[in-house]
Amino acid sequence: MQLPSLSELNLGLTVPALSLALWACILLVIDLFIPRDRKSVTAWLAAGGVVFAFIANLLVYRDPGVAFMGLFVADEFAGFLNIVVLLTAFIAILMSVDYLKRTGIERGEYYVLLLMTTSGIMFMNSANDLAVVFIALELLSIPLYVLAAFRAPEERSEEAGLKYFILGAFASAFFVFGAALIYGATGSSSLPVIVDAVGRALAGEGSSLLLLLMGSGLILAGLGFKVAVVPFHMWTPDVYEGAPTPVTAFMSVGAKVGGFAALLRILLVALPALTVAEGDAVAGWQTATWVVAALTLILGNIVAISQTNIKRLLAYSSIAHAGYVLMAVAAAGTPGVSDQATRAALIYLMAYMFTNLGAFAVAMAIEKDDGSGTSLDDFKGLGRSRPLLAAIMAVFMLSLTGIPLTAGFVGKWVVFQATIEAGLYTLAVIGVLTSVISAFYYVRVIVNMFLEDGEGDPAAAATPYVQWAIYLTFAGTLVLGIIPSLVTNLSGPVALAVASLVP
Amino acid sequence: MEFNIHSIVFLIFSVITLGGGLGTVTSRNLIHGAVYLIVSLFGVAGLFILLSAPFLAAIQVLVYIGAIAILIIFAVMLTRSMTRMTEIYNRQWSLSLVVSALLFVLLLVGIILPVWGPGTANAALQPSELVATTVDLGVAFVDGNQFVLPFEVASLLLTAAMIGAIVIARDRD
Amino acid sequence: MVQTEMYVMLAVVLFVLGTLGVLLRRNAILVFMSVELMLNAANLALVAFARQWGNVDGHLFVFFVITVAAAEVAIGLALIVAIFRSKKSINIDELHQLKG
Repeated sequence: MQLPSLSELNLGLTVPALSLALWACILLVIDLFIPRDRKSVTAWLAAGGVVFAFIANLLVYRDPGVAFMGLFVADEFAGFLNIVVLLTAFIAILMSVDYLKRTGIERGEYYVLLLMTTSGIMFMNSANDLAVVFIALELLSIPLYVLAAFRAPEERSEEAGLKYFILGAFASAFFVFGAALIYGATGSSSLPVIVDAVGRALAGEGSSLLLLLMGSGLILAGLGFKVAVVPFHMWTPDVYEGAPTPVTAFMSVGAKVGGFAALLRILLVALPALTVAEGDAVAGWQTATWVVAALTLILGNIVAISQTNIKRLLAYSSIAHAGYVLMAVAAAGTPGVSDQATRAALIYLMAYMFTNLGAFAVAMAIEKDDGSGTSLDDFKGLGRSRPLLAAIMAVFMLSLTGIPLTAGFVGKWVVFQATIEAGLYTLAVIGVLTSVISAFYYVRVIVNMFLEDGEGDPAAAATPYVQWAIYLTFAGTLVLGIIPSLVTNLSGPVALAVASLVP
Repeated sequence: MEFNIHSIVFLIFSVITLGGGLGTVTSRNLIHGAVYLIVSLFGVAGLFILLSAPFLAAIQVLVYIGAIAILIIFAVMLTRSMTRMTEIYNRQWSLSLVVSALLFVLLLVGIILPVWGPGTANAALQPSELVATTVDLGVAFVDGNQFVLPFEVASLLLTAAMIGAIVIARDRD
Repeated sequence: MVQTEMYVMLAVVLFVLGTLGVLLRRNAILVFMSVELMLNAANLALVAFARQWGNVDGHLFVFFVITVAAAEVAIGLALIVAIFRSKKSINIDELHQLKG
């Protein structure tokens, strides 16, 4: 038995993710010594952990490699998504400080769980083995179930937690069974080994193609639940509405990033050559993701029109945006375009992160302490009572629609470009049309704020922390929109460097 | 499959597993459902032994039956007015049946076609006689080439779950 | 020796049975038990495939599945009991507060 030495494990690369998890455990103990009325100290400590992980991640990002003998990959792909996730966590913490205080649920465990789920997402970004993906997926999900129910005994929050839990557990079961079938077809759970086995299966030796297709279908379904694509989206509006708003904001970005990271890595590293019939030019899963993306775009955008509650509206909008990311995933199924499409998905996720977190932060500023005040009518007259807040919200809405000079436009631009490059013209047309439809409900929020009469709520609780969150996301939305080269350069070398890195 | 002692034992355990599963899904009484679940889990443990995974069979009995199923029974007792149900199926039962049937057909096609259809490559691979001993499993966990990382993350997961369960369950003030 | 395919078919039947339970039942605890059936089906398939391939990767995967099941049961039952305390019902389609 030959045990590897510590240096062979390359522990340094895992520092961003591991430090966050470790800090969560330490914070749990430190929190015991922080008096009840000063829990914002815990928030600051948690934010400090996030900043540390962010810096560590930037250092690792410069020098990619593999750790744990190939189980953990720290490539540009993971580094970029880690940046997105850590920014999400930081903004979510900023949003939480006052919200927890005024809703009376201020407890240190909140931040501990938030850090745990963030580290889970970071492990998912780097996971290079189905077993790691699975266990990281659970580390992502389980704290989120609890956070969704954090306003307990408030009924809506408890129900959101239970619903999210039941469907999440159901989805995990699908993922595991899919992983089992893929293991059965290839004899390994390691993604780089699977890709070899797929090659052998295509050549008609070794293992069964159908088993592989079935397995990847089930994995697609399992991860589809996490990122909320049709037909696995049913839980989204209920959970988003019932969960505490900062948790919803975190969930709407974080869970999607983790899910798409795993999806992209599994599809592009392990199954890029998986074709339905021999000699097909594109990957066999392209049609499936294509159809799911189209359905998601259509359903998400159309149902969003009839929503009257901003949290439910943003829930359906988040379903729709998952559809746009999935467009990029589908485009990645065409071999020549896969790098470009991966990049597009990452840029889209970053743009969506800023915009969506901002929209949720504004919604939270409007929200009353008892969780009411999230209806679209509550936005009426906001343009007069809180002009700055309303103007910023208008920019977020325009960015979600995809109007030029905002981050949303850049995201949609690169995604459509990749889709057309991959020859999926119908999907691109559906994407453009549904973007137009989405303008209906996004612009309605703007109309409500500026043109409708209403008293607004001059006392809207945009306290300093929330204001910082709003300004930060606002800046991100505009900077990305005006200088897109910033992020397109940053993600320039983003390719799944995995195949070449693994020994 | 020819009839020898292996296949007979396999048949017995499959019947136990599926019978337990069917009982769980259809039971009218929650406690009965939990007991059926235990029966089914026990059947799976027996199949693990047949598959030469004795250690996993022990874990199955200890963790699944000893901890998980017992916890479920605790939950049933804590919510005890629910033990008898008048209306056991939800309103979309017809849709559920269709979806499940579809999934079943789909999976069966995926499993059976490889076996009897064209390209029966799997038949070439004879099941190995490997018995996964406790030593093998333990080494694989700490061997750097294998599963150290998920092992660590699993410990984090259990910590998170513990914190979470306490957060939900403790008295509100 | 029983062929791997037999085990896998058994696993498929058990998996679909679990899916049926999740989709069909109203009671949250029973839905959860059905999820356990699905996880067990996956475990069975994993161990059967592990014997087929002659490596222990599948066995190790089963460990993680069992770990996750234990973590899920802790969280899930805590949630179920909490909701029962405030609502006296754990039927999923009676979660009225949020219109489904």
